[in-house]
Amino acid sequence: MVPFSGTGQIRSYHVDWRMLRDVKRRKMAFEFADERLRINSLRKNTILPKDLQEVADQEIAAFPRDSCPVRIRNRCVMTSRPRGVKRRWRISRIVFRHLADHGQLSGVQRAIW
Amino acid sequence: MFSRVSALGPSRPLLLRLPCIPCGSEAAMETRGLWTLPGPARTEYKIQRCFGTNSVIYSKKDESSVPVAKISDSVPESQDNKKKKAIKNLLNMVRSMKVEVRTSDILQDTKTHTTKTEKEELKNLGRTSRVSQKAVEDSSLESHQSLRPELVAAATAVADSLPFDKLSVKSELLRQLRKHEKDFRAHQGKETVKISDIISDMKITKSPTSRIYTRPDRQIQFDEGLGFLSVNELLEHDSRKRKGLFMGKRLNVFPVAETAPEEASETETSPTLWDVEFAKQLAKVNQQPPQNAFEEMIQWTKEGKLWTFPINNEGIDDGADFHEHIFLDKYLEDFPKQGPIRHFMELVTCGLSKNPFLTVKEKVEHIEWFRNYFHEKKNILEENNIQFN
Repeated sequence: MVPFSGTGQIRSYHVDWRMLRDVKRRKMAFEFADERLRINSLRKNTILPKDLQEVADQEIAAFPRDSCPVRIRNRCVMTSRPRGVKRRWRISRIVFRHLADHGQLSGVQRAIW
Repeated sequence: MFSRVSALGPSRPLLLRLPCIPCGSEAAMETRGLWTLPGPARTEYKIQRCFGTNSVIYSKKDESSVPVAKISDSVPESQDNKKKKAIKNLLNMVRSMKVEVRTSDILQDTKTHTTKTEKEELKNLGRTSRVSQKAVEDSSLESHQSLRPELVAAATAVADSLPFDKLSVKSELLRQLRKHEKDFRAHQGKETVKISDIISDMKITKSPTSRIYTRPDRQIQFDEGLGFLSVNELLEHDSRKRKGLFMGKRLNVFPVAETAPEEASETETSPTLWDVEFAKQLAKVNQQPPQNAFEEMIQWTKEGKLWTFPINNEGIDDGADFHEHIFLDKYLEDFPKQGPIRHFMELVTCGLSKNPFLTVKEKVEHIEWFRNYFHEKKNILEENNIQFN
């Protein structure tokens, strides 16, 4: 059903394949987040013996590549632009300008001083 | 004749109307039931059934009382003297009715000019009815014969009793009687009204073009209100505005179907794609799009996309008190009390106790994972002389 606010454009797919891959990485990172945290706490440790820490190093390297959160890129939600994305709105600068000029962003106005 | 009576206004309390005549097997069946009653009571009963009590005659009820024909039907079965009695009673009743009319007629005569015009009207009506009656007669000659002589006699008596044009009254009455007989015959099954007959008389009417939403000014289309909606969406909006799907008073037009016993199980193992699609469509039908932003917010709150206001700032509401979050030493019983591992686990518990974002369950899971991990790596710990049970 068309929602009230969605009377403009309806997007049913990801904008491009890079956005899809980014989505996959985010999901995987969420799955492995707890285990990564625990094993990292073992690694970044001065109390436990170093043998244990080496073993932990090897274990964390064995995790799938996409499970690490570092590979996530905060792309623009509307256009999948990797750069120029404002974190608060999750959109690139171009889309931000477009929406702000049309009054779609609440509390955002052109700066004059 | 009846139309004339009504034209004179409500001052006439008399309802002169011969009831309909279902003759044939129906009446015969009913009369057979009367055999149990003794003789004179039977006729009385019949008369009462035909005309009811006296008050009924003078009332304006439209319900047809049991017809005159019942008496006439019983004639061939009962004896002659009973027949004569019945007819006599009928005529007496008619005459008594006649008296009532005269008094009201006198009252009416006081209004001179009205009666004159009314009489003229009556004459005109009489002429027209006579013409129509003639046409009817010409068309159906056989039906003229089907009426019984007793009925004709009764009709003439009634016509005589009234102060109007007698011939036209009589003809009207007889026409009505014939019509009723014909209807009954048809109902019995000898004649069937075909749907093609009905439809052939009907005209095809085109409904006027449904009102299209006319915008006040083309230029201000998209500024206010629902200017951005297409025509279909506007029509949807209109239909929804009148009444919601399930509101409004119940009309009781359709009979309430009793719940049939549900079939035990369907033969198909997995639902087909068509079934899935149909189910989806059914679910969508009830979910109308929200009319305004408030309804949209309500929908989102139900889905969980929107926070419920006022916001609860107490933190994660997992039903556990603060002491369960902070004092986690009870979970460290399995660990050794001395050594680097204990040191490490105490740091872990300290960090967990300060974490407001995890539930108690999640914290316990963390600690248990560490226990399992150290169990697995026991050999490495023993190499470094660390005891772990």
